[in-house]
Amino acid sequence: MKIHWNPIVKKDLQVTVRSMRFSWSLFAYDAVLALAFLLVLSIIQGSSVGYYSNSNIYSYFIYLFPVLAIAQVFIVALIVPVITSSSISGEKERQTFDIMLTTCMSPFSIVLGKVISVVVRILFYVAAGMPVMALAFVVGGLAWSSLFYFVLTIILLSVFSASVGIFCSSFCRKSISAVVLSFVIYFVIYILSFVPLILHMLWTEGNNAGETMLLLLFNPGVFFEEFFMQVMTGASLFGTEGSTFSVDDVGFLTYHLSQGKAWMFLSAACILMLSFLFIIVAAWKVNPMNTTTIYTRGRKKKRK
Amino acid sequence: MLTIYDLTKKYGTFTAVNHLSLHIPEGDLFGFVGPNGAGKTTTIRIVCGLLKASGGFVQIGNTNARMGSKEMKRQIGYVPDFFGVYDNLKVYEYMEFYGSMYGMWPRDIARLTDDLLALVNLSDKRDFYVDTLSRGMKQRLCVARALLHNPKLLILDEPSSGLDPRARVEMKELLKNLHSMGKTIVISSHILSELSEMCTSIGIMNRGQLIMAGRIEDIMQQVTGGRRLHIQAVSGMDTAVRLLMEQAGVVVESVRENEVIITNNSTDEQTSTLIGQLIQQGVVLTGFYREEGSLESLFMQLTGGGVQ
Repeated sequence: MKIHWNPIVKKDLQVTVRSMRFSWSLFAYDAVLALAFLLVLSIIQGSSVGYYSNSNIYSYFIYLFPVLAIAQVFIVALIVPVITSSSISGEKERQTFDIMLTTCMSPFSIVLGKVISVVVRILFYVAAGMPVMALAFVVGGLAWSSLFYFVLTIILLSVFSASVGIFCSSFCRKSISAVVLSFVIYFVIYILSFVPLILHMLWTEGNNAGETMLLLLFNPGVFFEEFFMQVMTGASLFGTEGSTFSVDDVGFLTYHLSQGKAWMFLSAACILMLSFLFIIVAAWKVNPMNTTTIYTRGRKKKRK
Repeated sequence: MLTIYDLTKKYGTFTAVNHLSLHIPEGDLFGFVGPNGAGKTTTIRIVCGLLKASGGFVQIGNTNARMGSKEMKRQIGYVPDFFGVYDNLKVYEYMEFYGSMYGMWPRDIARLTDDLLALVNLSDKRDFYVDTLSRGMKQRLCVARALLHNPKLLILDEPSSGLDPRARVEMKELLKNLHSMGKTIVISSHILSELSEMCTSIGIMNRGQLIMAGRIEDIMQQVTGGRRLHIQAVSGMDTAVRLLMEQAGVVVESVRENEVIITNNSTDEQTSTLIGQLIQQGVVLTGFYREEGSLESLFMQLTGGGVQ
């Protein structure tokens, strides 16, 4: 049986990898990672002269992994919305989007193709950063499986960021507006998702967080913190010394979900679901059969 | 081939397309004419599934496919007025990309790409990057792309806008060629002389309404109320006018010093007999000719001089 691959992925990759801008961006990505690596290395080396002895210096090299991984997470989280935001609005600006919509591809396949092409592009960056990342592993202290799990989490982050970007791109006519809207959504998901927790804590004078923490299942920042905690120490973020919750501190659900790896897997599922929702809404928005343009008081508005 | 029934598109209180009904038979080369804002592009976009209609329906062939559905899109090849390009994409890759979007297999795409590039005279540009082609070439490539999935209906929205005269001629020849191959083509254009040369029928739109549609000759006939005949003479004008006024079905439109203009619906044989009678009555004729109505004059007449 022959399989039809999403043609948008192939086309987008062809167009992207042939541009010099892509090569330069790969170079810049590696340069930033290398700089982060050298910085951490010099800090470890400088510190070892005093407090750390030469005998245990290698045990501190383990910290190269989270530093480099977090650096990659930050870069990916920043560049993906920029790349994706222009994917639909860029096609609209080039006036190629109409032709796409007259083909047999469904709006969902078009949007999904755009998301996949961004994820594949991000994998190019991750692959390019592998040699630097691998240096953190050659000194020991970490299982190679951690690198594999890291790639999986980067894919998860790419899918999430790309779906946010595509969602914004489908709503905005201009790429720049889509980028701005993406970062507004980032702010809501990454920062404002803590607000109910903080308010609840203030309301109960810091004694009880209730089930408001469940909202953080959708926060990729908390997911990554939990991931690195699991990889580095094998413990849950919620089960570390001094911050262990009891059923009284948090709600019943939160207590049981924060045991072992449950939070990490559930959070990954929640983030994927949220991404899927963004993609569905974006596909619905770009479908011309779902949009009606109306004029109100002489001003043009779009009504869903 | 294409049946549009009671199509309406409203933007709030503004009606862009007002209860438009139209039938275009198979193998026709239909020209959509109208001033800017007449509703041509809106109609075309609705037919292509790029815009949702407020009312009415569109049918292609004998299928009852839903508007904007895959079945309907498969039957339409759409060429927009502006050719958007991707950087770093070669001509054959461009065709390959759109072929895949129609779910075609790579082997079929490759075979058809070669045939279509030959048809639009771009075979030698197969390995060129699309953004390096001239505007005329891009437009022809766009036609080749629209034909890739072998649609029953080819729709072109202002295909000649922004093209130089040579590119326009090439585009016109290409469309004539496609028409001779049996393709049903709908073309919207402002270049009326071009449309009158190649279209078999036209539809004239103004302010969202289809004022008139049909074969060009029939429309001319309807609008001018018959065919105008100019009769020129050096003497015997009074006799000529009297004789012509006595003829049934002949309307004398104007009389000048040496020329009389009449309108009649008679055949060439009847006209020949009439001329013979004038000569027999002693009218000294210097010449006579049929006035060919132009699409421009017809358009101006129907749209109230609304060309923009």
